[in-house]
Amino acid sequence: MTTTAREGHDGGGAHEARGPRTPRSLRTGPGIRSADGTHHTHRAPRAASTTTGATQHARLAARTSRWFWLVWILALASLMPATLSAYRTTVPEGPQGEAMAAALGVNTTMRAMLGPPYDLLDPGGFAMWRVGTFVAAAAAMMAALGVLRATRADEEVGRTELLRAGPIGRHAPLAGALLVAFGACALLGAIIAVSLAALAPPVGSALAAGLGIALTGAVWAAVGAVAAQLSESTRTCRGVALGSLAAAYLLRALADGVPDSSALSALQWVSPVEWAALARPYADERWWVLALPALLTAALVALAFRLESVRDHGSGLRAARPGPAHGSARLASAGGLVARLTRGSVIAWSVGLVTFSVVIGSLAGTIDTMLGDNPQLSAMFRRMGSGAPELEEAFVVAMLEIVAVLAAIFALSLLLRLRGEEEAGRTELMLSTATSRTRYALAHLVPALMLPTVLLLACGALVSLPSVLAGGDAGTIATCAGSALVLSPGVWVVVGFAMLVLGLRPRLLWLPWALVAWTLFVAWVGGLLRLPDALMKATPFAQLPHVPAEAFAWGPVLLLTALAALLLGAGLAGFRRRDIG
Amino acid sequence: MSTMTSPRPGHPADAATSTDLAIDIQDLHKRFGATRALDGLTLAVPTGQVHGLLGPNGAGKSTTIRVLLGLLKADSGRIRLLGGDPWAQAPELHRRLAYVPGDVSLWPNLTGGEAIDLLGRARGGLDRARRDELLDRFELDPRKKGRSYSKGNRQKVALVAALASDVELLVLDEPTSGLDPLMERVFTDYIRAERTSGRTVLLSSHILSEVETLCDHVSIIRAGRVVESGTLTQLRHLTRTQVTVDLAVPVPAQLTTLPGVHDAQVEGHRLTCQVDDTALSAVLARFAEIGIRSLVSTPPTLEELFLRHYEPEEAAS
Ligand SMILES: Nc1ncnc2c1ncn2[C@@H]1O[C@H](COP(=O)(O)OP(=O)(O)O)[C@@H](O)[C@H]1O
Ligand SMILES: [Mg+2]
Repeated sequence: MTTTAREGHDGGGAHEARGPRTPRSLRTGPGIRSADGTHHTHRAPRAASTTTGATQHARLAARTSRWFWLVWILALASLMPATLSAYRTTVPEGPQGEAMAAALGVNTTMRAMLGPPYDLLDPGGFAMWRVGTFVAAAAAMMAALGVLRATRADEEVGRTELLRAGPIGRHAPLAGALLVAFGACALLGAIIAVSLAALAPPVGSALAAGLGIALTGAVWAAVGAVAAQLSESTRTCRGVALGSLAAAYLLRALADGVPDSSALSALQWVSPVEWAALARPYADERWWVLALPALLTAALVALAFRLESVRDHGSGLRAARPGPAHGSARLASAGGLVARLTRGSVIAWSVGLVTFSVVIGSLAGTIDTMLGDNPQLSAMFRRMGSGAPELEEAFVVAMLEIVAVLAAIFALSLLLRLRGEEEAGRTELMLSTATSRTRYALAHLVPALMLPTVLLLACGALVSLPSVLAGGDAGTIATCAGSALVLSPGVWVVVGFAMLVLGLRPRLLWLPWALVAWTLFVAWVGGLLRLPDALMKATPFAQLPHVPAEAFAWGPVLLLTALAALLLGAGLAGFRRRDIG
Repeated sequence: MSTMTSPRPGHPADAATSTDLAIDIQDLHKRFGATRALDGLTLAVPTGQVHGLLGPNGAGKSTTIRVLLGLLKADSGRIRLLGGDPWAQAPELHRRLAYVPGDVSLWPNLTGGEAIDLLGRARGGLDRARRDELLDRFELDPRKKGRSYSKGNRQKVALVAALASDVELLVLDEPTSGLDPLMERVFTDYIRAERTSGRTVLLSSHILSEVETLCDHVSIIRAGRVVESGTLTQLRHLTRTQVTVDLAVPVPAQLTTLPGVHDAQVEGHRLTCQVDDTALSAVLARFAEIGIRSLVSTPPTLEELFLRHYEPEEAAS
């Protein structure tokens, strides 16, 4: 016996054994034994439904994704209580708070971002407005992603095929994934309802809030189920599900942003992410509104099952469209390849960051009227904004730092494709051509440095755009663009650090992620939490001058640029020297 | 000319100078943590040869090839590829070779055609007409996305990209492991054509028949070193022929103890045994003296060769 033959044989044997040895729990049930004792097993398939095995699948999906669900649920469940605990800091008691709530309630940008304000003087009503719709949308994202990872993602890599070959119904994986997602949404809703009931009675209102959020999640669990049927590519399905969520969120932003008198404001009823708010928790509940998401969920689930019945396993509804038989002239080198592979994500990031900047810019002009009378909030923003005396300035500075951190995340996602390609074995393929390691690394590195920098500059300019359009000084465009650009060495340091890790110890690639996560945390809530100064300064941006709150200085800019260059050089040298694969 | 370069370190003592060698590896060591993947591997492939690297899974075939391509850094040893240093001069040398990995991973969003063009151009250009002919022969649809190809089809994409490039050396790591028998035939035809046109091919495999049909020269690799290397004829010389003979009289006992006769089994007039190829004439002469009624001899296969090197107790003896 040769080693090879022996292994081949054993492999086959193990595979064969897997069929008959299906766990008893997955079977369709006992065969029907008639009086004469014969086994009428042929009747079992007819008795079994297309969802036989769904609960086993649900158990499997819950077990394989338990961290996914746990992290999402805990993160989302904490937002409402956290907002409630900070309520009195934001809206003080007495006339000052009332004025503040009124100012917030009519601010168009805030309404568009957050949702319709009903009763901001009630802590529960305020929390519902401040984070309720956001949590509902995030729960929707969680549910859609959760369903997709247990359905299309498994199907795409061929895991489902093995299970479907067993005696389970055609819809079992889908039904199982939906069960888990619904369960997760229910759990999230229950935690929210209980915590709200404790912190912000009455219980009925807390229940309405929790139920509204859970049902919004359920709708997108069902959207995910439908999306999973459409394409053979998980990425495409995910795009459809999350795209529909983004569209619904934008639709309600539009409907909430226009004055109540406008005909467009009726559009809020068309957007399912708005329904949780429209049920008016803490503001004279309209319970019947919650029937809308329940009905839509049922209809979408029925549609998903229907679609799954008419498509082939492993494929989408439509056969995959054939692509080009020849590569375009640009697809001739590592650089062309990277440009092609990152096209979609570059567009998405650009659109996202540009939108974010315009929203910030339009908020900046209203910040004085909104918060000017609230010393605590103003002080917080000044802290976040490097101590700028002008509230608007402080706000812009604080927000530009957030844009810069987001740009760093974008940069990181571009650079780390280098590792993803290596792990997939495609770096090996490219490096077996005349492509040198340096050229291959630079093909990833150059866009990771350039694109976020350009985007940061553009975002800086855009932040000032609304105020300039409203008749402000056109010179602020240059100022803001400059303020943003000054932060770019921080982005380069993040890229340099990631390159260093990638070149020397690729196993530790979570380190640059931890760095940006920490930086984002500091930029977002550091000012709020009054963190110790040493911690606040432990970010790549802290040492850079935050213009215009601080004076520009070449020292830190050059120092960080040099540090970035050093890290990049060392990382590149490491990448040229180490084993690939 | 030495017939065998058994695990003797150092250079084969033949006339070939190092410039005639497309691949020249001496005493190569490579470890991954505690694993000794390559443990003093020595391998020489003259220009124009189709050389088979034969060994079981985990023997170190892919590691050898990756070191040869400059993807892995050798711990020690001397490696020359097409007259150059594969670690320091990888890009220049890679213009002159094409590689097909054992497990081809393609870009999910690029079509097969795009991947072929990308790899071909990055290598320095590919022959358009030959590309189309190869696609046709391998029955590969170049308009499908990478994610929808099966293992075999991904392998075909890499094969087409490699075979459509005008290069001196083909490095193929288990190139047929995903191909169906029909496509294996197509592949075999192409490799034979490559051989006639004088290209050098290094082909790794754990499939004996593949090496048998394709290669001029075989190196058997085991636990990170080459344990046997030679032409097929040279390797066969060391093997035993299976002989079944019906004699005119009951088998005399002394026949089973003749030098070069192994595993003899006697059933009345019939003797079944294995005979060292070197002892074959002498043994057959003895049979003829006694009188042969019928004789069946089975030529040695690489399979048996393989067995002798991989069965632990055999290898020890
Ligand atoms: N990147 C790696 N890290 C650790 N061990 C490895 C790595 N690559 C190969 N090995 C080990 O080296 C040995 C040789 O592997 P390989 O060259 O892939 O064998 P073959 O291609 O002959 O099947 C095996 O024991 C394998 O587990
Ligand atoms: Mg291998």
